[in-house]
Amino acid sequence: MEHHQVLRIVSRFLIPLIMLFALYVQFHGDYGPGGGFQAGVIFAVGFILYGLIYGVERLRQVVNPSLMRSLSALGVLMYAGVGVASMLSGGEFLNYSVLAEDPVAGQHIGILIIEFGVGLTVASTMTILFYAFAKPY
Amino acid sequence: MVEFTILLILLSMLLALISAAIGETVYDKILAVNIFGTITVLFIAVYGFVTGRPDFLDIALVYALISFVTTIAVLKFFEYGDMGKSSTDREQDIDI
Repeated sequence: MEHHQVLRIVSRFLIPLIMLFALYVQFHGDYGPGGGFQAGVIFAVGFILYGLIYGVERLRQVVNPSLMRSLSALGVLMYAGVGVASMLSGGEFLNYSVLAEDPVAGQHIGILIIEFGVGLTVASTMTILFYAFAKPY
Repeated sequence: MVEFTILLILLSMLLALISAAIGETVYDKILAVNIFGTITVLFIAVYGFVTGRPDFLDIALVYALISFVTTIAVLKFFEYGDMGKSSTDREQDIDI
């Protein structure tokens, strides 16, 4: 669809904004509506828009599918890793309070890392879903 | 006053849905669904201010972004029959 000039230019303008907004939703989740899942979906929407405009082959060159598979596993690993780390520090599984000296600071660190893992997994899984539904040519 | 606005927005959402249901071609239907999405953005924003939660503006922004991409995706699917096609692929098809 590169020959649709309006669509191409508007998308070029929007894709960075979509990704910036995804990061805002990700890291502002403490104070407003948001969180890892929503941020992951919005971030993947940026990739999907690129794939819609320039074709899935070009998207495959930009975002490597095998890298996406590794990232989706890495997000789950981060989630479980925080849980195991809090177990090793003497608390229960996913008890963030023991992650730092101050329980509130520990909870902040724990929820940020966990939400980042969720966002990573969701963004890469959504991109993989787009690869699966768009036929390769 | 704001409640009246919400009522009017809900009414126009209903009208957009009716026009999507009775639209003759697929493009009429897509246009109606797009209008529905735009009105929904308005609805979320107004509803957030009525309930005293301006945070809802974030959700309205997300809705606007995703409904834009959805419209492009649906239109592309009806035009080319596939999501991942690029125009260079199309030229190759014409050569064959």
